[in-house]
Formats: sequence, structure tokens, C-alpha cells
Amino acid sequence: MSGEEAADTDDEDLEEIDAADPDAAGREATRRPTTIDGGVAAGSAVLAAAAAAYGSLPAFGLALVGASLLALGLLYGRRPAVDVAGLLLFVGVLAGGFVGDSVEATLVGTVACVVAWDLGQCAIDLGEQLGREADTTRLEAVHVASSVLIGVVTVSAGYALYLVAGGGQPAAALVLLLLAAALVTVGLGARRSRPSGRSRSAHRSHR
Amino acid sequence: MRLRSVTLAMGVAAFVAAVAILGGVVVFDVGRWLAFPIAVISLLVALNVLARRRGARDRGETPDPERRAPVPIPGTDLSATVTEFRSEYERRLSPSTRIREGLSDAAVAVLTRFRGLSEVEARERVEEGTWTDDPHAAAFLAPELDPPKRSLRERLTGRLASETRFREGVRRTAAAVAAVGYGGTDDRGELPAYGGATGSGTAPRTDSSVVEGVVERASRETGHWTGIGVIALAAIGIGTFAESAAVVMAGAVGIGYAAVADALEAPTPEIEVERTPSETSPEPGDEIAIEVEVRNESGRFLPDLRIVDGVPPGLAVTEGAARLGTALRPGEEVSFEYTVTARRGTHEFDPVLVLTRDLSRSVEREFLVGAETTLVCEPVLRPIAAGVPLRQTAATFSGRLTTDEGGSGTQFHSVREYRRSDPLNRIDWNRHARTGELATLEFHEERAAKVLVLVDARESCYVAPGPEAPHAVDRSVAAAGRIAATLMADGDTVGLAAIGPVDDRGEGDDQCWLAPGSGHTHRARFQELLATHPQFSTIPPGGSRRWIPQIRRIHRRLGGDTQVVLLSPLSDRAAPHIVRWLEARGHAVTVVSPDPTAGDTTGRRLASVARRLRRFDLQREGVPVIDWRGDESIDEAFARVGATGGGVR
Repeated sequence: MSGEEAADTDDEDLEEIDAADPDAAGREATRRPTTIDGGVAAGSAVLAAAAAAYGSLPAFGLALVGASLLALGLLYGRRPAVDVAGLLLFVGVLAGGFVGDSVEATLVGTVACVVAWDLGQCAIDLGEQLGREADTTRLEAVHVASSVLIGVVTVSAGYALYLVAGGGQPAAALVLLLLAAALVTVGLGARRSRPSGRSRSAHRSHR
Repeated sequence: MRLRSVTLAMGVAAFVAAVAILGGVVVFDVGRWLAFPIAVISLLVALNVLARRRGARDRGETPDPERRAPVPIPGTDLSATVTEFRSEYERRLSPSTRIREGLSDAAVAVLTRFRGLSEVEARERVEEGTWTDDPHAAAFLAPELDPPKRSLRERLTGRLASETRFREGVRRTAAAVAAVGYGGTDDRGELPAYGGATGSGTAPRTDSSVVEGVVERASRETGHWTGIGVIALAAIGIGTFAESAAVVMAGAVGIGYAAVADALEAPTPEIEVERTPSETSPEPGDEIAIEVEVRNESGRFLPDLRIVDGVPPGLAVTEGAARLGTALRPGEEVSFEYTVTARRGTHEFDPVLVLTRDLSRSVEREFLVGAETTLVCEPVLRPIAAGVPLRQTAATFSGRLTTDEGGSGTQFHSVREYRRSDPLNRIDWNRHARTGELATLEFHEERAAKVLVLVDARESCYVAPGPEAPHAVDRSVAAAGRIAATLMADGDTVGLAAIGPVDDRGEGDDQCWLAPGSGHTHRARFQELLATHPQFSTIPPGGSRRWIPQIRRIHRRLGGDTQVVLLSPLSDRAAPHIVRWLEARGHAVTVVSPDPTAGDTTGRRLASVARRLRRFDLQREGVPVIDWRGDESIDEAFARVGATGGGVR
């Protein structure tokens, strides 16, 4: 055989394939929550807890429990933990707002706890679908930006309404306005059902 | 639907009332009589939401194309494995009786082979319980024998480990059966586990179809924001009741998020995916970098793209991730890179799986994007130093066999009278100089062997000793190339054939066949077939094919004096029959058998005993079987056979 000398150099390569190689089965995605979404979610949770602390100490305690639960949920990728954590944070912020009666702190706290809940879920979703090894920086940046942006716009609109409608007018008007917005949104939220399922018209063949 | 209309009507009514109050048309003050029911109802609804969220979630799951297609480990199903030892067909038996009888047959089988007992003697010993030193195993198969009393501690630990008496008996008996006979490799000292985890059966690929362009596969609501509207309502209600503006405003924020969640639609990703491997025809073991470029062809911003590349099931990703999460502006392009280790075979990439969501993440759509790439990885035909241990029989001439017939060659045979037309270089010029007579030298004639390398690629041969280990067909094909290279380097003629499913569609008779030959073209063709023929696919086939018609076809094409080197893991009962079928028709068969068995569970250990029995039976019939263990290279296996001298020419 003419290429014998050259072929001998491939010896090690071939042995590696012949024998069982621990890496040979492929590197599976680790399916753990992603870092940027998760990190921002944890940060927001702390901010929400701080907003609750502005009102009262027991509210801060409640929010703190929520924040810790969120951190645990993100560490192990548990969705129910993130849900419960979000609710605890929200209740904490509400309690703080009720006692402290600071509309501004409550608004900031609410946005922070919704952002924490939203991004916490995003981190778990992304972790399950793509894993922590995949490059998801751009997507996570969009997540953070969109989540915060919605919050900022809503707070601005809500605060403006509060200043206009709250100034001297009966509180009933404000409440009814918000209630109207809420009911309409929830009513529209029963989204039209769309056709789902697998469409395979363009598939050429099975192999 | 009705709920929706009612909610909407209430919303509009509330709005009208609010405007009326603001305009001073109606004078109205929220008293506790109104606030209280609102608060209570809102709270109840909010509590209900958490429970509803559980079912509302729906997210696309992604497969694991980074992994290779899994193959089973022989003996994973215990009750199927024990029937391997039965000679007659299965009667209707309860599973436990079947396992017990199967084990009893297994014990008889190993005793008759490895202890030299007759069938009757062996059965007697099993029934008396004198076949093994282990009292538990003996009692398990002997109906009259009482199992030894277990100590209190054993009973307690057994109870704790939820080990039944039956399971322990099975484990001990399997270990005792495996300990009988030659080999000694199975004597691991520890008991096998009763059952093992069965691997996931799904093929790790994005989709098995061929796709052109962007095709939608599914669409779903993720339920990402489910409940936020209701929680917000609850906050407003409580705020009203408590007369706290801060709490009411907190609820208002939630309404904002809920509104955005329902307003957006997930776009269709008009993207183009281009895949560039660093090499399209690598050698086995090469690391290939795969670069994937994704470009947004539409005029829209794609805010949420989750991309999983369709790595072929025969390849494994060894570095980087074949996934990307990104957002793309119109016309923008991003790329990602990962590394796969090349393995023998033809590898076609599956379509790219793209999950896309809208900016609020409440709708998710699933698409397949076509991007065809094919890698062809031919095996390296490097000769084996130890040589191939072929058979030497009366009917065939093996390799560079020096025959007893005179002719041309290198080894001196005799001198005979000169005949006209004898070649000049064969004339004994020394004698001519001495005596003036002409005489012709005869040498031992050398003949090339005709060898057919036959690969057993039936469905049952796609087995491996572990989830990471290469399966028996991959090892067989790699060895086929190297055996052929060795024989061709020795000047023999080598052919190639395979038994096994041709492809899923089952069309045509394009069974692999390459008639014995030699030369560079033949060698190249041989190498190409090993890499590209569907019968040698590294992915387990979908169905099985009957082997008798296939072997008949091979036999019809085969010359009478051709030897066969059969590469088979001997993982089922049919494999020895193939050998006997060929032997009965005059072909000398040498079996090279990659070992696919493991020993960690009872079923697997029994499967390795069954394979050992098949090997032993074939050897007893005079067919050399070269056992090629999972941790050895083919060179080591052949060198070991060469050192012990078994079946070497």
C-alpha cells in the first residue's frame, strides 16, 4: 500500500473512534435557565423588595421571601416557584403601597416585580429550548428591553391618568376608568383561536 | 365566547359611567356597599388564576440533535432475552414462569457446553441444585430445594431496597450462569442489577423530512401572561375597597402588560439559512467546524428567534452549541459555529428548527427551514499489521498460499526438463553452463485468495454495549474496510456484500454487491460503497428484511471457491444460521464478531452468555470466530488471535 506511512499518523484518531469515547455521544444542551434573563429577573426582584421596604417592614419580609423563591426557581428551572414568587412580590409591593401610601414607589415596585416574573419565565423557557451553552445574548437583550419598555410606558400613562383624574375628582371615576380598561383587556384577552397543528404541504418526501 | 361578550359589555358600561361622573352628569360616590363585593370577587378570581396557569402553559420543546441516534443494549428486555435459550416455541406462560424456565434452560445450555455434561445430566443437576455453589441460585431453579434462611439483617436490607425474593433469585441465578464456562470476563464478582433504565426511544433529530423554504409546523399560545389581567383586576378591587390610590395604580400597571400581551402577532420568519462545513469529505475522527448563517430576508423586525440546527443523527456535536437565540433587523445576518466529530457514512443535515415569538412572548410558532448539506466520510483503508486470519481448506486457496503445484513463484519447488516456450528467466542457466543441457526451474505456485467480506447489518445488529459506544454495524463496517485493505495489499481479490434492510421504502434489489476484484479502481469503489451504501447506514433502519433471499442472491453471484469473512455481532439466533447456510454450500466462513454486550443488568449479562454460546457452537463446528471486544481495536483482536494461533493460516 502506497499511503501506508501517511495513514499511520491517523492511528490515534481511529483508535479514539474504535474505543468508547465519553464525548462521542454528543454534548447535550444542559437545559438550565439562561444567565442574562435570569440575572435581570433576580435584580428586579431585589428592586421590588426595596420598593416594598419603602412602605413597611412586614411587606419587605414578604417580598424578600418572594425574591429568594424566585432565585431558587431560577437556579433549578422550576416554573411554579417563579409564579408563586411573582405573586408574593406583588402582594409585598401592594402591602407596602397600602401602608406607605406612596404611589411612585408602588408603581416602580410593581413594574419591577412584573419584569422579574416575566424574565424569570423567559430564562426558564430559553434554557429548556436552547440551553445555557447557546449564544442567546441578542435575544435576551430584546427580552429585557421589551419587558422594561412596556412597564415604563404603562406607568407613564397610568401616572398621568392618576394626576389628571385623581386631582379633586371623585375617586369613583378613576376606579371605574381603570375597571373599564381592565375588563375590556381581559375580554379581548380571550384571544381568537387560531388554526394550529402540523401543516406539511411543502414537504417533498420522507427519508 | 359568552363570557367574553359579558366582560366587554361590563367594561364599556364602566367606561360610560366613569365619563358620566367626570362630566358631572351623575353624582356618585363609591361606598363600601359597592367596593366590598368587588374586592371579594376579585380576590377569589385571583386565587383561581394560579390553579389555571398550570394547564395554560404551552411551549415548544426542542429535540437533542446534538446526540447520535441511540441504539439498544442487547438484553435490555429480560423476558425476551431468556427465550433465546429455548429451543422450542414459546408456550403461554406467566412472565415469572417464563423467566424461571428460561434461566433453567440457560443453565443447562452452559453446563452442556462448558462442563461437558449431557443434556440429561445437566437437567438433573439443575433440578437437584448441585450445579452451582450459590445456594440461592440453586434453590431458585430447583423446586424441591428450600432457599437458605436469610439473616435478619439481610431481610431488613432486602425489604428496604424493595427487593423481592424472586428478583434476588433471578439476579443470583443469572450471575451463576454467567460464571460457568470459559472467558472469565463475565466473572465480575458483583451481582447484576435486576433491570436497567431503558433509553429514550425517540430519534434525536429536528425532523426527518426534506423541507424547502420556510414551512410552518405548529402554532400555539404560550400562556406566558395568563392571569396577569385578573391579578390586576383583583388589585384594583382591593385598592377600591381599601381606598388606597397606590394599590389601585399597581393594578393599572398589570392592565398595561395584559393589553400588550394580546395585541401582538408572531411574525413568519422569512429567513434564509446557509450552512458551511469546513470540510465536506472528511476522514473519520476529523473535527469539522460547521458555520451556520441566518439572514432575515423580510422587511420586518424579527424580535424572537430560537434556532436549533438539524445536526444529522449519525453525528455528535463535540464543541459549541448547535443552537442560537437572536433577534434580527430587516436584512441583518448573524452566524454561529459548532464542531462535530466526523464518523464514517453519509450524513445529511435535517432542516433547521426555528421557534419564533412575538415581542410579548405570548404566541409561539414553529417552523422548519430547509438547508441541505451533506457530508460524506469514507473509512480509511489501512491494512492490519497482524494480517487477516483466513481459513485454509482443501477447496480454497488462501491468500498468498504456496501451493504444492509447480509454476512461477518465489519458493523453489523442483527442476524439470526444458520444454519449448518456457520463459527464459526460468531456465537453469547454471546447469546449462555446467553441462550444456537446458532445464527449467519450477517454483511453488502462489495463488490469490478470493474473499468476500460480508457485513451483517440486519436490524438486530444495531446494538452497542453502552449509550456512548459505537454500535456493532459501525464497527463491522470500519473493520470491513481494514480487512479488505489488508487482503488487497497481499494481492488477494476482495468483494463486498451486506445482509440487512436496504432502505425504508424497500424498493428495488439494490442490495450491496461488489464482486471480488483488485486494483486501484476496485479499492476506491470499495471505500465509496462503505461510506455511501444505505445498507451500511450508521442510523438504525426502520424495519427488518428476511435474510434468506438476500443470502441466496449473494450465493448465486459468488464463485464456488470464494471464502467469506462475516462481520456480525452474533446478537440473535439467525446469525449462526447464516454461517451454517454458507458453510453448507461450500464457502469457508471466518466470523469476526464485534462484542456489543454489557454485563450490568441480568438481562444484559444473559445476552452476553447467549452470544458466548453461539460463538462456542460455531467454533465447535469448525468455524473460527474472532471475538472483538468493545475496548479493543481490530488490530489488537487480530493480533491476539495470531498470538494464540487459533484459526490462523
